[in-house]
Amino acid sequence: MSPTASAEQAGAVAGTSGEVPAIATSGLRKAYGSRVALHDLTLTVPAGEVFGFLGPNGAGKTTAMKILLGLVRPSGGQALVFGRPPAEPAARRRVGYLPEHFRFQEWATGAELLDFHGRLAGLGAAERAARIPELLARVGLEGRGGERVRRYSKGMTQRLGLALAILHRPDLVLLDEPTSALDPVGRREVRELVRELAGAGVTVFLNSHLLTEVEAVCDRVAIVSQGRVVASGPLDDLAGAVTQLRVLLDRVDRAVLALLEGHGQVARVEGTAVTLDVDTLDLAPDLARELVGAGYRLYGLVPVQRSLEDIFVDLVGEVREG
Amino acid sequence: MNLLVVARWTLLEARRRRLLAAGMALSAAFVVLFAVGFALLYHAQQRDLVSAQAQGAAGLDASTELLLVSTILVVLGLYGVQFLAVLLGLFLGVASVSPEIDSGALHAVLARPLSRLEYLLGRFLALAGLLTAYVVVMSGALLLTARIVAGYQPGDPAKVVALMVLQVCVLLGVSLLGSTVLPTLANGVVMLALFGLAWLGGIIGFVGSIPPGNELMANLGTAVSLLLPADAVWRGASYNVLPPSLLVAQSLTGDEGFALPFGSTIPIAPAMLAWAVAYPVGCLALAVAAFRRRDL
Repeated sequence: MSPTASAEQAGAVAGTSGEVPAIATSGLRKAYGSRVALHDLTLTVPAGEVFGFLGPNGAGKTTAMKILLGLVRPSGGQALVFGRPPAEPAARRRVGYLPEHFRFQEWATGAELLDFHGRLAGLGAAERAARIPELLARVGLEGRGGERVRRYSKGMTQRLGLALAILHRPDLVLLDEPTSALDPVGRREVRELVRELAGAGVTVFLNSHLLTEVEAVCDRVAIVSQGRVVASGPLDDLAGAVTQLRVLLDRVDRAVLALLEGHGQVARVEGTAVTLDVDTLDLAPDLARELVGAGYRLYGLVPVQRSLEDIFVDLVGEVREG
Repeated sequence: MNLLVVARWTLLEARRRRLLAAGMALSAAFVVLFAVGFALLYHAQQRDLVSAQAQGAAGLDASTELLLVSTILVVLGLYGVQFLAVLLGLFLGVASVSPEIDSGALHAVLARPLSRLEYLLGRFLALAGLLTAYVVVMSGALLLTARIVAGYQPGDPAKVVALMVLQVCVLLGVSLLGSTVLPTLANGVVMLALFGLAWLGGIIGFVGSIPPGNELMANLGTAVSLLLPADAVWRGASYNVLPPSLLVAQSLTGDEGFALPFGSTIPIAPAMLAWAVAYPVGCLALAVAAFRRRDL
């Protein structure tokens, strides 16, 4: 994945990426009584970017998204969508949304629901007539538009929700856990859809606790825990913030741990394997020489690229313990 | 016009949920029952009167007596119609917003460029339209039946229907307000209780108005009517059923006159009428204010 390239491309295609960011929040806060769902959220998502909003369940991701849609009133701070407060209906004209629980009026058929939302979004009759069958096919519901939503499976309903979210060719799409009801094939299709949107210059704001999903499609991420952003930045930066070396030895004793501590910090010991947090991988050759010189047999010295999951677990764990 | 989009959607919902079909079937049964009952009772009364007069009994002249019987039957029939319409209005209002909030179906809808005012007004307009059609068709059918069977001419049928529509709008307004602030079941309970209270208030006021009159009871009835001007508006409607000739006959017979069960022989007070017109408007305004503040 090449975040910078896709961001540039997106900006070039969209023509919407001027100075106004798709999303800008500052000091956003939401409290329900004494329970604070969101603390001081400040973030900017430039137009054309695919932004991952990561966090465990109950971290405040959905609350943040609902504020961006005018569904929830913030207790403090400010949120702007393309420079306008989302409580103004007109600010939501360019926005598409897939709700977390993707519940729709079950008495209606899929096509009726799309028609209703198309009207609300201001699509003309001819546009709706052309767009609705096209969208149903796009999300894999070809020929099912005449069935009532009540008869849809969960996966089908979520697909319908995706069609609703992109119905009016929005410039910003907010997807709240968009693959929670989908099988692996469906998940892959959603990833393709997100990439396609990004290719067309659409800004995508993706709420998820599925890290692989975010890793696969997002340019930048923010990790949120207990209502606060605990880390944010381009994915590569986050993943590269801490470097580790995995040292495989014939034996591990106090002396070797002391020796290793001289070069970094021991993260964990598993049998005869030691994981060491280091500032730079450049010290690996020296470390190897010292270990061999001290009489240890060195079976491996492997740089470890930390996955988003590791970062996530570390950060979220820290907040929980703290 | 997203307001109209919502209204159209609401009508589609009523059709899809088979509300219209069920409502029409039951209402048709009600009209048929009324027609049969009215015809049987009217003709029986006619026979009795003829035989009584043949025996030289005193009292009101036969035509006035028959007119009185017809009026009572028509008022009772319309009372049934307004009762059905009121329940329908309460159910529709109660089911208008909170179930959509509870199920989450509203999230996707209100994320559109649709204001909460437009949403609520669209819902109200569609449901009020349905209820108006219901009241017009049902009361029209009843009045037509009375006309065919007994040649019955109500005092002012347009006012009767208009006031019955107003009454239903009052209930729709208050239950829609409840639907934006209360969970569905709680709202249903509150609304039924409120309607029962208004009904009881009407009875108390009615009893208080029977000569020589009890001012405290009359005032209590008025106070309850202010809380929910449903029964008061219905009584106003029922007054307009009375044919002018019957009112003349009543004034000629002096103080005693006659009493209409569940109805009224005096017109609705202008102030109460104004309050009843303002009431649904006020309910809607409150509903919009409450709904705007509500987190979904």
